[in-house]
Amino acid sequence: MSVILKKTTNPRIAVAIFSLAVTLPLAWLIVQSFARNWRFPALFPPESSWRAWSYLLDSASGVSTALLNSLVIALLVTILAICLALPAARGIALHDFKGKNLVLFLLLLPILSPAIATAIGGHALFLRYGLTDSYLSVILAHLIPTVPYCVLTLTGSFLRFDVNLEAQARTLGASATQVLRFVTLPSIAPGIGVSAVFAFLISWSQYLTTWLIGGGKIVTLPLVLVGFQRSGDETVTAALTLIFLIPTIIFVALTARFWREN
Amino acid sequence: MMIKNSLIFLNLIFLCLVISACQNSKTNVPKFTAEDLAKANWQQIETKARGTTVNFAMWAGDENRNRFFQTNAAAALKQKYEINLNIVPLGDTAEVISKLLNEKSAEKNENGSVDMIWINGENFRTAKQGNLLWGKFAEHLPNIRYYAAEAGRRDFGTTIEGLEAPWQRAQFVLAYDTARFAEPPRTIEKLGEWIKAHPNRFTYIAPPDFTGSVFLRHILFHFGGGAEKFQTFDEELYKEAATKTFAFLNEIKPYLWRKGETFPNSTKELDRLFANNEVDFSFAYGASFATERIGRGEYPPTVRTFVFDSGTIGNYNFLTIPFNADNPAGALVVINYFMSPEFQIEQVRQIGSVYPHNLDALNDAEKKAVAELPRGAATLSEAELLEHLIPEADSEYLERLEKDWREKVLLNF
Repeated sequence: MSVILKKTTNPRIAVAIFSLAVTLPLAWLIVQSFARNWRFPALFPPESSWRAWSYLLDSASGVSTALLNSLVIALLVTILAICLALPAARGIALHDFKGKNLVLFLLLLPILSPAIATAIGGHALFLRYGLTDSYLSVILAHLIPTVPYCVLTLTGSFLRFDVNLEAQARTLGASATQVLRFVTLPSIAPGIGVSAVFAFLISWSQYLTTWLIGGGKIVTLPLVLVGFQRSGDETVTAALTLIFLIPTIIFVALTARFWREN
Repeated sequence: MMIKNSLIFLNLIFLCLVISACQNSKTNVPKFTAEDLAKANWQQIETKARGTTVNFAMWAGDENRNRFFQTNAAAALKQKYEINLNIVPLGDTAEVISKLLNEKSAEKNENGSVDMIWINGENFRTAKQGNLLWGKFAEHLPNIRYYAAEAGRRDFGTTIEGLEAPWQRAQFVLAYDTARFAEPPRTIEKLGEWIKAHPNRFTYIAPPDFTGSVFLRHILFHFGGGAEKFQTFDEELYKEAATKTFAFLNEIKPYLWRKGETFPNSTKELDRLFANNEVDFSFAYGASFATERIGRGEYPPTVRTFVFDSGTIGNYNFLTIPFNADNPAGALVVINYFMSPEFQIEQVRQIGSVYPHNLDALNDAEKKAVAELPRGAATLSEAELLEHLIPEADSEYLERLEKDWREKVLLNF
């Protein structure tokens, strides 16, 4: 049975199908972002146009500001989410205590409940503490869906981590910071990397939360994108989507390199 | 141990950040209210607004319109009133309403992030019912005189009472492609015949989509004896007209695109079907929509629009101020400027919208400027639009029709 399977599933075909599935939609987005008068049944656009790209580069579109906002917020959210998740993950992975399952459940609750409920409920809560309409409030709000993912991935890293290594390093005379730098962090680095990617991409794609809690004062890329997506201007939507995908493409490329090297 | 401590330290810093953010400084300047507006003269308002920033929440899905507001409109406001216009882009106006509802229940009565909103219809009704609006202001704006009196009375059957100011005019039109046929059917009866003679070539947007719903109201008016009868809700009239409407819709259903088993969900989807030559008609609540689509290269240049002989529904859309606006004086000045002939003429020039004013209120120079405005090839003439303009129905009809359509047409196999 396994022999037959091995013969029939040529890995090259699988790779080819997978690459097509990834690249075809991207290729379509690129073509669409330059297309003009592209209608069924034409296979390729009859005319090309810079309309979408020149609009996005125009400061009047607000895309450059939105891009910067998205980037700064996502980076800060990533750093904060990991700092918050590290102690929680360590505690859950390395210690047994009463109510551990309850703590885990509470930590995961924000991603188990529907996003719209978290967003609207979060908005009500943030309003009560006067925490709306600012950068800080948007960053705090983005932590709600990101921290659970970071806790999950980092718990996995700590489960595979042998704490005795820390003690050994200490007996060999390493200082606490040296232990952190040369023992603990290298062991959990892949976990930190994965949770950073998660946190960044989740923050990067927040729409309703950013809009409600930022009050529209903090305009990020999804806020600009959704307007065009809903209005049906496919050319501008395609160009914006490509910009929106840049971090994902970078992360995929980095991961691929990481795999090749290791 | 150190590792844990340093992490605890980091999290403590974080906690301090949160706490410091919570202690928002509260300003104790008394709020400028609609009562103050009634007592003030306009000059005082303009002085008060000078040097401020106005956050304008508007639907932002159109490249030309965004560009016009971010550049031309913002520059004019800066130059004339030293006001900074900041656009808060919306994917859907309902989002700003749910934000305000949340803020209302949390008693955030000041320092709101939005000073003015482009609004109409159901969103206005929700806002009015939820007391989400700043107050009666429209009659105090100098430029209200350019609008016909009925423009400020009712918005989809909800009485306005000065809570929002009329801004732009919209009218339902249908689009067809002259490259496919020369003459479109201009009555509901002829449209019905056309649909039966051309199976698979017509569809309409499923209510409760705004545009799908307005299409149905034209059929309701047709079978109910005209728009005038539908200004206040009458159960008997509704039942009679709706029965005929649904009979008509079920009769044409098997001849619709995909045999009426499925309907497009939005203007966007109907547009795509029309542009891709899968159906022969598109429609929208906006007389210049086909011209805009041709300009964007989505429709072929041979597309034209038409209205029904019995008329098409038209209304205004409005500008309003939310209850917790931080800068109501600034919003009033911007709204008043947006209602001026100067702004409206420029807007028609830049984005091809329809001129909304009562032309009798204009001076000779303004009349001349309006008469010389360019008009997109696919936009009907002002005279033809006005001649075929019919009013909206009471919103009760709208709700009933949307609800019953689902049961009597969509789920009727």
